[in-house]
Amino acid sequence: MNLYEHTIIAKQDVSPSQIKQLIEKYSKIVEKLDGDILKTENWGLLNLSYIINKNKKGNYIHFKIKGKNKIVSELEKNEKIDKNLLKYMTIKVKEFDLTTNYFSIKEKDEAPRKKYNG
Amino acid sequence: MKRQERSTMVKKRNSNKKNKQSNFAKLSIFQPNKYKFKKNCPLSGKGAPIVDYKNIKLLKKYISENGKILPSRITSISQKKQRLLSLSIRRARNLALI
Repeated sequence: MNLYEHTIIAKQDVSPSQIKQLIEKYSKIVEKLDGDILKTENWGLLNLSYIINKNKKGNYIHFKIKGKNKIVSELEKNEKIDKNLLKYMTIKVKEFDLTTNYFSIKEKDEAPRKKYNG
Repeated sequence: MKRQERSTMVKKRNSNKKNKQSNFAKLSIFQPNKYKFKKNCPLSGKGAPIVDYKNIKLLKKYISENGKILPSRITSISQKKQRLLSLSIRRARNLALI
């Protein structure tokens, strides 16, 4: 059993209900292959530092998965086809840091900036 | 008379300057260890922040304005932590966070 951190970037015009569906869809795939999702984080809409497929912003979803490497290949196979997604990345880690969430604080900081952008 | 005085004054000044310069040269060559500033690595030791690709606030300190990774000789990060840092910066770039 390995530990993986898996992040997905969805397109900017995906609705919140669709994001919930995406989370459900991929967590079902993990459960099918006897994996555990220890934590899911929704980082929300963040500014991309460079434009990806004409998108300036992206919805970030972050999974912390415990399971075999079959899960990763299965997830990435499905994500390649998915039209709602821009990018995905999986990273194998030795330990999970479940306490700190770097992006819940950042959203508050960025809230006033959005007003200036209109 | 006045001219002569002036000339002597100038000579004196010149001689003073020469002495000072020589002193400076000695300082630069035989610099004692006090003046070499040796900083410790800010990312290792007790209470150091965790280097992670999600910790963007930390990573942004160690990249230039153009988004390049700063060399360790400027930031005085240890070799081990520099490897970790550059890896996590590349991961953050891949996710379009930096």
